[in-house]
Amino acid sequence: MKLALRINGAEDRIELLSPAPHCRFRLGDGPERSAHVEAPETGVYSVLLDGRSYDASVEETAGGLVVAIDGFRFEIAVRDPRRWSRQAGARGSGGVETVAAPMPGKVVRVLVSPGDTVEAGQGLLVVEAMKMQNELKATRAGRILTVGAKEGATVSAGEILATIE
Amino acid sequence: MFRKVLIANRGEIAVRVMRTLREMGISTVAVYSDADRTSLHVRMADEAEHIGPSPSEESYLSIDRVLDAARKHGADAIHPGYGFLSENADFAAACEDAGLVFIGPSVQSIRMMGSKTAARQTAIAAGAPVVPGTDHGVTLEEARAFADTNGYPVLLKAVAGGGGKGMRRVDRAAGLESALRDAASEAGRAFRSPEIYVERLIEQPRHIEIQLLGDRHGNMVHLGERECSLQRRHQKVMEECPSPLVAQYPEMRRTMGEAAIRAARAAGYYNAGTVEFLVDRDRRFYFLEMNTRLQVEHPVTELVTGLDLVKLQVEIAAGARLPFTQEQVAWRGWAIECRIYAEDPYNNFLPFPGKLTRLRRPLGPGVRLDGCVYDGWTVPMEYDPLLAKLAVWADTREDSTARMIRALREYDVAGIRTNIGFFRQILEDAEFRRGNLHTGFIEEFFARTSAPQPPQDLAAVAALAAAVHSLARNRAADAGPAAASSSAWRESGRSGLLR
Repeated sequence: MKLALRINGAEDRIELLSPAPHCRFRLGDGPERSAHVEAPETGVYSVLLDGRSYDASVEETAGGLVVAIDGFRFEIAVRDPRRWSRQAGARGSGGVETVAAPMPGKVVRVLVSPGDTVEAGQGLLVVEAMKMQNELKATRAGRILTVGAKEGATVSAGEILATIE
Repeated sequence: MFRKVLIANRGEIAVRVMRTLREMGISTVAVYSDADRTSLHVRMADEAEHIGPSPSEESYLSIDRVLDAARKHGADAIHPGYGFLSENADFAAACEDAGLVFIGPSVQSIRMMGSKTAARQTAIAAGAPVVPGTDHGVTLEEARAFADTNGYPVLLKAVAGGGGKGMRRVDRAAGLESALRDAASEAGRAFRSPEIYVERLIEQPRHIEIQLLGDRHGNMVHLGERECSLQRRHQKVMEECPSPLVAQYPEMRRTMGEAAIRAARAAGYYNAGTVEFLVDRDRRFYFLEMNTRLQVEHPVTELVTGLDLVKLQVEIAAGARLPFTQEQVAWRGWAIECRIYAEDPYNNFLPFPGKLTRLRRPLGPGVRLDGCVYDGWTVPMEYDPLLAKLAVWADTREDSTARMIRALREYDVAGIRTNIGFFRQILEDAEFRRGNLHTGFIEEFFARTSAPQPPQDLAAVAALAAAVHSLARNRAADAGPAAASSSAWRESGRSGLLR
């Protein structure tokens, strides 16, 4: 079973040669390794690898999985090539840039409308949480394709609020 | 003694106060806004009363609604916690008028210490050293005259302020006008008063404060200091008792303690209160302000003195005398507290409210956790992002640091982001270990360190866990719509579908 991965932005792949609990796996072009994997709690994996014990907690977010181990966070997107048809085409078609909410909160101001031309660094929306306001800025110059949130709307982290063409 | 006390607050401090009241055999009344119906303080209280919609102006800051709740439930006293109405003299006065005991100082003391400039004048009159500055709000000309006489850099501060709002550092005469304008507009928005005063800026100051406790019969003691220099956005995030500096120069505890008592006495102070000082690099200390309430960070003082400050507050409010003298106050060991916030330290400490999908709390020797969260709770986006205060006690600073790192390693919060990992980085830092602290420490820390690199193999384990998790989920999805629901997935994940 081969899976394509993106770990903290870097492309990688993992091949699972035998399933849990006695996992044999290969990461990228690395050697074959084995690990013992159990799920003692919901979303928590106890992994024994080369005699060391790790507790990995897996959280499902809008942008993919977040795996936390010993205080380190890994943002991981997993793609099964055989399921490509179902997952492809979600986003990322060339030339379109998305602006996502960096934190959960409430949209307090929408500064642009579809069709507007924006400069890189121009403010698009203002999101507020816990009395802190955060202005989301255009990551590049272009034309606003969509604005996905209205003033007063509650948004979650990672939610796409605008797209720039 | 009181039979029933209403807690005019929410979050961890409401829970903290209720714990002591329960130990004292006093009934507890919670108040809550729309956002807090299922919050822990409501679930834990003996009685609870809804006081309005989520915005705090219409609930926790509404004097009338809080007092209505107190009357309806027949409370005899009100504990205000910190924040909200705790330092509002009108609220304290309204409690007295309604025949309720306000668990705190007198209305008069709150008024004298509530305004920063009035507090400065009280401190000066009492002979406590203050940072040179204007004792009132200034015009641009007055600000310029002060800076020309005393030299740059200067600090602009809001007369009615706190929490860093309306505060600006000015290094050169050229920047004064725009900084004053910005500070005044920010202060106007935050405190409804645009008045700004000017102080000489102390470079790399420490923030060290003295805990005071006084009764209504004229007795007052200090309970030593707390080092609160670690701050972000001018808000404390980690505190210790003793201060590493005071531990090195023990006479500072007595001199600062006596200065704090003098200032508080000048305001006729009783109940618990805290005098904050700035300490410069030559160990000179300056009165900053007085907080006329219980502090967020009071647990570190409790851990080293063995006292329960909330219990003492309640007893003093009921008319009791201080049960000990200054000579009987003893400090033992070393306590550290980390304020666990729902925020992302690696993205400008932006707040990160949301639903907790999993919670594992630190336990074991020397660990104290004052929190308000539970597994499945949604952290409301309307209030302060403080989730819990994790405090540890050990014999020495070194042991206490090691214990805090151990406790943070046990602390697992999923679904939202927290500063738990960030604290571990700070506690491992050599400068922190040497006790070289100042209020700009965290900013400098970010400038001189890079993000920690995970040990070898951690990425491999993460990839493996993600792969196993995804496969199990896909299998659950393939097993049909019923099995694809999240609860079915959870069940099957547990019972071995991941095989």
